[in-house]
Amino acid sequence: MTGPPLTHPTHDQWLVQIDAELDGELSLVERAALAKHLVTCAHCAGARASQLEVRVALARSAGNPHAFVVPRPVIRPGALALWVAIALGVGLLAGWGAHQRWGGPGSGTPLEETRGTIVVH
Amino acid sequence: MLSVTIPMQGPGTRLTYRIRVIEPAAVAPRILASGAVSGPLDTDMRLTLRSDSVEVEALFQVTPIGDTVNLGAEFFTRRRVGRSRRGLPVWEDDTYRRVVRLAWNDTARVYPFGSGRRDTAPRKGAWVELILERAFAGGEARPAEEFAVVDTTRDFRLEAVVRPRRAHVVLNLVRGDTVSAPRPIDLIPEEPPRIVRLVLGRRVTTLELSLTRPDPPRSDRERALAIDADVVCLRVVPPDGSEPLGVMCGRLNSVARQLPLPSGDTLAATFAWPGPR
Repeated sequence: MTGPPLTHPTHDQWLVQIDAELDGELSLVERAALAKHLVTCAHCAGARASQLEVRVALARSAGNPHAFVVPRPVIRPGALALWVAIALGVGLLAGWGAHQRWGGPGSGTPLEETRGTIVVH
Repeated sequence: MLSVTIPMQGPGTRLTYRIRVIEPAAVAPRILASGAVSGPLDTDMRLTLRSDSVEVEALFQVTPIGDTVNLGAEFFTRRRVGRSRRGLPVWEDDTYRRVVRLAWNDTARVYPFGSGRRDTAPRKGAWVELILERAFAGGEARPAEEFAVVDTTRDFRLEAVVRPRRAHVVLNLVRGDTVSAPRPIDLIPEEPPRIVRLVLGRRVTTLELSLTRPDPPRSDRERALAIDADVVCLRVVPPDGSEPLGVMCGRLNSVARQLPLPSGDTLAATFAWPGPR
Protein backbone atom coordinates (compact mmCIF):
# COMPACT_ATOMS: atom_id res chain seq x y z
CA MET A 1 0.00 0.00 0.00
CA THR A 2 1.83 3.07 -1.21
CA GLY A 3 0.54 6.48 -2.13
CA PRO A 4 -0.39 9.66 -0.37
CA PRO A 5 -1.69 9.31 3.20
CA LEU A 6 -5.45 9.54 3.65
CA THR A 7 -6.61 13.00 4.71
CA HIS A 8 -9.72 12.06 6.73
CA PRO A 9 -10.06 8.27 6.59
CA THR A 10 -13.23 6.56 7.65
CA HIS A 11 -13.31 3.70 10.11
CA ASP A 12 -13.44 1.12 7.30
CA GLN A 13 -10.43 2.71 5.69
CA TRP A 14 -8.50 2.46 8.99
CA LEU A 15 -9.30 -1.26 9.09
CA VAL A 16 -7.86 -1.62 5.60
CA GLN A 17 -4.78 0.28 6.75
CA ILE A 18 -4.39 -2.09 9.76
CA ASP A 19 -4.58 -5.05 7.43
CA ALA A 20 -1.97 -3.57 5.16
CA GLU A 21 0.25 -2.70 8.10
CA LEU A 22 0.29 -6.28 9.31
CA ASP A 23 1.18 -7.33 5.76
CA GLY A 24 4.11 -4.90 5.88
CA GLU A 25 2.80 -2.82 2.99
CA LEU A 26 2.55 0.60 4.64
CA SER A 27 5.08 3.36 4.22
CA LEU A 28 6.72 4.95 7.21
CA VAL A 29 4.42 7.98 7.03
CA GLU A 30 1.31 5.79 6.82
CA ARG A 31 2.48 3.66 9.73
CA ALA A 32 3.03 6.78 11.80
CA ALA A 33 -0.47 8.04 11.00
CA LEU A 34 -1.95 4.67 11.90
CA ALA A 35 -0.05 4.50 15.19
CA LYS A 36 -1.28 7.98 16.07
CA HIS A 37 -4.84 6.93 15.31
CA LEU A 38 -4.57 3.70 17.33
CA VAL A 39 -3.68 5.69 20.44
CA THR A 40 -6.95 7.58 20.28
CA CYS A 41 -9.24 4.90 18.83
CA ALA A 42 -9.84 1.95 21.13
CA HIS A 43 -12.06 0.30 18.50
CA CYS A 44 -9.33 0.24 15.90
CA ALA A 45 -6.76 -0.89 18.49
CA GLY A 46 -9.04 -3.80 19.39
CA ALA A 47 -9.53 -4.62 15.72
CA ARG A 48 -5.77 -4.70 15.24
CA ALA A 49 -5.32 -7.02 18.25
CA SER A 50 -7.99 -9.32 16.79
CA GLN A 51 -6.28 -9.34 13.44
CA LEU A 52 -3.00 -10.27 15.13
CA GLU A 53 -4.65 -13.12 17.05
CA VAL A 54 -6.17 -14.45 13.83
CA ARG A 55 -2.80 -14.36 12.11
CA VAL A 56 -1.08 -16.12 15.04
CA ALA A 57 -3.77 -18.80 14.97
CA LEU A 58 -3.32 -19.24 11.24
CA ALA A 59 0.43 -19.49 11.64
CA ARG A 60 0.11 -22.16 14.34
CA SER A 61 -2.24 -24.17 12.18
CA ALA A 62 0.35 -23.97 9.40
CA GLY A 63 2.96 -25.58 11.68
CA ASN A 64 4.71 -22.59 13.21
CA PRO A 65 3.98 -22.99 16.94
CA HIS A 66 6.23 -20.10 18.07
CA ALA A 67 6.35 -16.59 16.91
CA PHE A 68 9.61 -15.56 15.34
CA VAL A 69 11.74 -13.19 17.41
CA VAL A 70 14.39 -11.26 15.56
CA PRO A 71 17.03 -10.19 18.07
CA ARG A 72 18.05 -6.53 17.94
CA PRO A 73 21.76 -5.88 17.56
CA VAL A 74 23.21 -4.84 20.86
CA ILE A 75 26.44 -2.83 21.11
CA ARG A 76 28.03 -3.23 24.47
CA PRO A 77 30.24 -0.34 25.68
CA GLY A 78 33.06 -2.71 26.63
CA ALA A 79 33.17 -4.33 23.19
CA LEU A 80 33.07 -0.94 21.47
CA ALA A 81 35.99 0.32 23.55
CA LEU A 82 37.93 -2.86 22.79
CA TRP A 83 37.48 -2.50 19.02
CA VAL A 84 38.39 1.17 19.09
CA ALA A 85 41.56 0.31 21.02
CA ILE A 86 42.42 -2.46 18.54
CA ALA A 87 41.89 -0.11 15.56
CA LEU A 88 44.09 2.56 17.14
CA GLY A 89 46.81 0.04 17.91
CA VAL A 90 46.83 -1.30 14.35
CA GLY A 91 46.95 2.24 12.95
CA LEU A 92 49.86 3.24 15.19
CA LEU A 93 51.75 0.06 14.33
CA ALA A 94 51.23 0.56 10.60
CA GLY A 95 52.36 4.20 10.88
CA TRP A 96 55.49 3.24 12.81
CA GLY A 97 56.29 0.50 10.28
CA ALA A 98 55.79 2.87 7.32
CA HIS A 99 58.03 5.49 8.95
CA GLN A 100 60.74 2.88 9.56
CA ARG A 101 60.50 1.71 5.96
CA TRP A 102 60.11 4.96 4.01
CA GLY A 103 60.88 7.74 6.50
CA GLY A 104 59.42 11.16 5.69
CA PRO A 105 58.18 12.43 2.34
CA GLY A 106 60.13 11.56 -0.79
CA SER A 107 61.14 8.42 -2.55
CA GLY A 108 62.56 5.47 -0.67
CA THR A 109 65.55 5.20 -2.99
CA PRO A 110 68.84 4.97 -1.08
CA LEU A 111 70.58 8.35 -0.91
CA GLU A 112 73.76 7.20 -2.67
CA GLU A 113 71.77 6.12 -5.73
CA THR A 114 70.28 9.58 -6.15
CA ARG A 115 73.67 11.29 -5.90
CA GLY A 116 75.72 12.23 -8.91
CA THR A 117 78.67 10.12 -9.96
CA ILE A 118 81.68 10.63 -12.21
CA VAL A 119 82.93 7.77 -14.36
CA VAL A 120 86.17 8.01 -16.34
CA HIS A 121 86.16 6.48 -19.82
CA MET B 1 107.20 15.38 -9.52
CA LEU B 2 107.43 18.98 -8.30
CA SER B 3 109.66 20.03 -11.16
CA VAL B 4 107.13 18.64 -13.63
CA THR B 5 104.12 20.15 -11.90
CA ILE B 6 105.26 23.72 -11.44
CA PRO B 7 105.78 24.63 -15.12
CA MET B 8 102.33 23.24 -15.96
CA GLN B 9 100.73 25.50 -13.36
CA GLY B 10 102.47 28.59 -14.59
CA PRO B 11 100.68 31.47 -16.31
CA GLY B 12 101.49 30.08 -19.73
CA THR B 13 99.10 27.13 -19.44
CA ARG B 14 95.42 27.39 -20.30
CA LEU B 15 92.82 24.96 -19.00
CA THR B 16 89.66 24.10 -20.92
CA TYR B 17 86.62 22.24 -19.65
CA ARG B 18 84.75 20.95 -22.72
CA ILE B 19 81.30 19.59 -21.97
CA ARG B 20 78.30 18.06 -23.68
CA VAL B 21 74.95 17.44 -21.98
CA ILE B 22 73.50 14.25 -23.41
CA GLU B 23 70.12 12.61 -22.96
CA PRO B 24 69.45 8.94 -23.68
CA ALA B 25 67.01 8.37 -26.54
CA ALA B 26 65.48 5.39 -28.26
CA VAL B 27 67.77 5.37 -31.31
CA ALA B 28 70.85 7.35 -30.36
CA PRO B 29 71.72 9.65 -27.47
CA ARG B 30 70.64 13.25 -28.05
CA ILE B 31 72.91 16.25 -27.37
CA LEU B 32 70.97 18.84 -25.37
CA ALA B 33 73.75 21.39 -24.92
CA SER B 34 77.45 21.82 -25.46
CA GLY B 35 80.03 24.34 -24.45
CA ALA B 36 83.42 25.08 -22.96
CA VAL B 37 84.96 27.04 -20.15
CA SER B 38 88.61 28.03 -20.34
CA GLY B 39 91.03 30.13 -18.38
CA PRO B 40 94.08 29.93 -16.15
CA LEU B 41 94.72 26.68 -14.35
CA ASP B 42 92.89 27.86 -11.23
CA THR B 43 89.67 28.37 -13.21
CA ASP B 44 86.68 26.44 -11.89
CA MET B 45 83.50 25.60 -13.76
CA ARG B 46 79.99 25.92 -12.32
CA LEU B 47 77.32 23.81 -14.04
CA THR B 48 73.60 24.14 -13.35
CA LEU B 49 70.94 21.70 -14.56
CA ARG B 50 67.40 22.45 -13.49
CA SER B 51 64.04 20.77 -13.99
CA ASP B 52 60.66 21.08 -12.28
CA SER B 53 61.57 18.63 -9.55
CA VAL B 54 65.39 18.57 -9.43
CA GLU B 55 68.09 21.23 -9.35
CA VAL B 56 71.71 20.16 -9.64
CA GLU B 57 74.50 22.68 -9.25
CA ALA B 58 78.09 21.55 -9.34
CA LEU B 59 81.43 23.31 -9.06
CA PHE B 60 84.24 21.49 -10.87
CA GLN B 61 87.87 22.08 -9.92
CA VAL B 62 91.09 20.54 -11.22
CA THR B 63 94.43 19.84 -9.62
CA PRO B 64 97.12 18.89 -12.17
CA ILE B 65 99.45 16.10 -11.09
CA GLY B 66 102.04 15.51 -13.79
CA ASP B 67 100.38 14.01 -16.84
CA THR B 68 97.17 13.36 -14.95
CA VAL B 69 94.67 15.60 -13.29
CA ASN B 70 92.44 15.30 -10.26
CA LEU B 71 88.90 16.36 -11.07
CA GLY B 72 86.89 17.35 -8.02
CA ALA B 73 83.24 18.32 -8.01
CA GLU B 74 81.19 19.86 -5.22
CA PHE B 75 77.55 19.00 -5.83
CA PHE B 76 74.60 20.86 -4.40
CA THR B 77 71.34 19.11 -5.19
CA ARG B 78 67.75 20.07 -4.42
CA ARG B 79 64.95 17.59 -4.99
CA ARG B 80 61.24 18.23 -4.63
CA VAL B 81 59.90 15.47 -2.44
CA GLY B 82 56.30 16.52 -2.10
CA ARG B 83 54.07 19.23 -0.80
CA SER B 84 53.40 20.53 2.66
CA ARG B 85 49.94 20.54 4.26
CA ARG B 86 49.54 24.09 3.03
CA GLY B 87 50.32 23.06 -0.55
CA LEU B 88 53.82 24.52 -0.69
CA PRO B 89 56.65 22.48 -2.26
CA VAL B 90 58.97 20.62 0.11
CA TRP B 91 62.61 20.32 -1.07
CA GLU B 92 65.41 18.05 0.04
CA ASP B 93 68.92 19.57 -0.04
CA ASP B 94 72.05 17.48 -0.42
CA THR B 95 75.71 18.48 -0.59
CA TYR B 96 78.51 16.07 -1.41
CA ARG B 97 81.87 15.86 -3.15
CA ARG B 98 83.23 13.56 -5.84
CA VAL B 99 86.84 13.21 -6.93
CA VAL B 100 88.29 11.18 -9.81
CA ARG B 101 91.71 11.06 -11.38
CA LEU B 102 92.07 11.01 -15.15
CA ALA B 103 94.55 11.78 -17.87
CA TRP B 104 94.41 15.00 -19.86
CA ASN B 105 92.02 14.72 -22.84
CA ASP B 106 90.27 11.72 -21.30
CA THR B 107 86.49 11.78 -21.13
CA ALA B 108 84.74 11.76 -17.77
CA ARG B 109 81.06 11.01 -17.71
CA VAL B 110 79.13 12.80 -14.98
CA TYR B 111 75.72 11.47 -13.97
CA PRO B 112 74.28 14.45 -12.10
CA PHE B 113 70.93 12.84 -11.33
CA GLY B 114 72.40 9.67 -9.86
CA SER B 115 73.13 6.31 -11.31
CA GLY B 116 69.91 4.45 -10.49
CA ARG B 117 70.08 0.98 -9.02
CA ARG B 118 73.52 -0.32 -9.76
CA ASP B 119 73.76 -3.46 -11.88
CA THR B 120 69.99 -3.89 -11.98
CA ALA B 121 68.72 -1.09 -14.18
CA PRO B 122 70.21 1.11 -16.87
CA ARG B 123 71.36 4.56 -15.87
CA LYS B 124 68.57 7.06 -16.27
CA GLY B 125 68.45 10.79 -17.00
CA ALA B 126 70.84 13.10 -18.77
CA TRP B 127 74.57 12.85 -18.32
CA VAL B 128 77.42 15.23 -18.95
CA GLU B 129 80.52 14.35 -20.91
CA LEU B 130 83.50 16.33 -19.71
CA ILE B 131 86.91 16.53 -21.35
CA LEU B 132 89.78 18.37 -19.71
CA GLU B 133 92.32 19.93 -22.05
CA ARG B 134 95.40 22.02 -21.49
CA ALA B 135 97.29 24.18 -23.91
CA PHE B 136 99.92 26.87 -23.86
CA ALA B 137 98.18 30.19 -23.61
CA GLY B 138 100.64 32.56 -25.23
CA GLY B 139 99.89 35.26 -22.66
CA GLU B 140 96.09 34.91 -22.79
CA ALA B 141 94.96 34.60 -19.17
CA ARG B 142 91.38 35.84 -19.16
CA PRO B 143 88.64 33.27 -18.55
CA ALA B 144 86.21 32.57 -21.35
CA GLU B 145 83.00 30.61 -21.64
CA GLU B 146 80.81 29.46 -24.51
CA PHE B 147 77.61 27.50 -24.20
CA ALA B 148 75.04 26.49 -26.78
CA VAL B 149 71.75 25.04 -25.58
CA VAL B 150 70.21 22.90 -28.33
CA ASP B 151 67.02 22.11 -26.43
CA THR B 152 65.84 25.52 -25.24
CA THR B 153 63.10 24.03 -23.08
CA ARG B 154 65.78 22.92 -20.61
CA ASP B 155 67.35 25.16 -18.02
CA PHE B 156 71.13 24.66 -18.24
CA ARG B 157 73.86 27.08 -17.31
CA LEU B 158 77.63 27.03 -17.54
CA GLU B 159 79.87 29.59 -15.87
CA ALA B 160 83.56 30.14 -15.41
CA VAL B 161 84.47 30.74 -11.77
CA VAL B 162 87.72 32.59 -11.21
CA ARG B 163 89.03 34.04 -8.01
CA PRO B 164 90.64 37.37 -8.94
CA ARG B 165 94.37 37.59 -8.35
CA ARG B 166 94.08 41.36 -8.48
CA ALA B 167 91.29 43.87 -8.84
CA HIS B 168 91.02 47.18 -10.62
CA VAL B 169 89.60 49.72 -8.15
CA VAL B 170 88.50 53.22 -9.17
CA LEU B 171 88.15 55.70 -6.31
CA ASN B 172 86.27 58.99 -6.14
CA LEU B 173 85.58 61.41 -3.34
CA VAL B 174 82.09 62.90 -3.41
CA ARG B 175 80.86 65.98 -1.56
CA GLY B 176 77.45 67.27 -2.58
CA ASP B 177 77.56 67.86 -6.33
CA THR B 178 81.34 67.85 -6.47
CA VAL B 179 83.28 64.75 -7.42
CA SER B 180 87.04 64.33 -7.40
CA ALA B 181 88.96 63.06 -10.39
CA PRO B 182 88.84 59.25 -10.60
CA ARG B 183 91.85 57.56 -9.06
CA PRO B 184 92.42 54.09 -10.55
CA ILE B 185 94.51 51.61 -8.66
CA ASP B 186 95.23 47.89 -9.06
CA LEU B 187 95.20 46.02 -5.76
CA ILE B 188 96.13 42.45 -4.90
CA PRO B 189 94.16 40.68 -2.17
CA GLU B 190 95.95 40.23 1.15
CA GLU B 191 98.81 42.53 0.10
CA PRO B 192 100.17 45.18 2.53
CA PRO B 193 98.08 48.39 2.61
CA ARG B 194 98.71 51.18 0.11
CA ILE B 195 98.55 54.91 0.79
CA VAL B 196 96.24 56.82 -1.57
CA ARG B 197 95.71 60.59 -1.74
CA LEU B 198 92.50 61.98 -3.16
CA VAL B 199 91.98 65.67 -3.89
CA LEU B 200 88.57 67.28 -3.76
CA GLY B 201 88.57 71.04 -4.14
CA ARG B 202 91.68 72.07 -2.25
CA ARG B 203 91.41 69.45 0.44
CA VAL B 204 93.66 66.39 0.25
CA THR B 205 92.35 63.21 1.87
CA THR B 206 94.86 60.49 2.60
CA LEU B 207 93.67 56.95 3.12
CA GLU B 208 95.30 53.58 3.68
CA LEU B 209 93.67 50.93 1.50
CA SER B 210 94.00 47.17 1.40
CA LEU B 211 92.11 44.48 -0.45
CA THR B 212 90.89 41.39 1.42
CA ARG B 213 88.74 38.35 0.73
CA PRO B 214 85.23 38.31 2.20
CA ASP B 215 84.34 36.23 5.25
CA PRO B 216 83.59 32.56 4.52
CA PRO B 217 80.01 32.07 3.32
CA ARG B 218 77.48 30.94 5.88
CA SER B 219 75.32 28.67 3.76
CA ASP B 220 76.41 25.26 2.46
CA ARG B 221 75.31 26.18 -1.05
CA GLU B 222 77.39 29.36 -1.24
CA ARG B 223 80.41 27.55 0.16
CA ALA B 224 80.08 24.52 -2.14
CA LEU B 225 79.48 26.53 -5.30
CA ALA B 226 81.91 29.37 -4.54
CA ILE B 227 79.14 31.88 -5.15
CA ASP B 228 81.26 34.76 -3.84
CA ALA B 229 84.43 33.81 -5.73
CA ASP B 230 84.65 37.23 -7.42
CA VAL B 231 83.82 39.26 -4.31
CA VAL B 232 86.55 41.43 -2.80
CA CYS B 233 86.52 43.75 0.17
CA LEU B 234 88.25 47.14 0.38
CA ARG B 235 89.41 48.01 3.89
CA VAL B 236 89.74 51.74 4.46
CA VAL B 237 91.91 52.97 7.35
CA PRO B 238 93.09 56.51 8.20
CA PRO B 239 96.83 57.03 7.68
CA ASP B 240 97.53 57.12 11.41
CA GLY B 241 96.53 53.47 11.57
CA SER B 242 93.73 53.96 14.10
CA GLU B 243 90.31 52.30 13.88
CA PRO B 244 89.22 51.38 10.31
CA LEU B 245 86.78 53.75 8.67
CA GLY B 246 84.92 50.89 7.08
CA VAL B 247 84.98 47.93 4.71
CA MET B 248 83.30 47.87 1.31
CA CYS B 249 82.63 44.48 -0.29
CA GLY B 250 81.41 43.85 -3.80
CA ARG B 251 81.71 41.86 -6.98
CA LEU B 252 84.00 42.87 -9.81
CA ASN B 253 81.06 44.25 -11.75
CA SER B 254 81.81 48.01 -12.02
CA VAL B 255 79.09 48.99 -9.57
CA ALA B 256 80.08 51.81 -7.20
CA ARG B 257 80.03 51.21 -3.43
CA GLN B 258 79.97 54.17 -1.09
CA LEU B 259 81.48 54.76 2.32
CA PRO B 260 80.81 57.95 4.34
CA LEU B 261 83.98 59.43 5.82
CA PRO B 262 84.22 61.40 9.11
CA SER B 263 85.22 64.50 7.11
CA GLY B 264 81.75 64.63 5.56
CA ASP B 265 82.93 63.35 2.18
CA THR B 266 81.83 60.05 0.70
CA LEU B 267 84.32 57.60 -0.74
CA ALA B 268 82.99 55.79 -3.83
CA ALA B 269 84.83 52.67 -4.98
CA THR B 270 84.20 50.67 -8.11
CA PHE B 271 85.59 47.15 -8.46
CA ALA B 272 86.34 45.67 -11.88
CA TRP B 273 88.46 42.97 -13.49
CA PRO B 274 91.90 44.32 -14.32
CA GLY B 275 92.90 44.72 -17.93
CA PRO B 276 95.16 42.15 -19.58
CA ARG B 277 98.84 42.52 -18.91
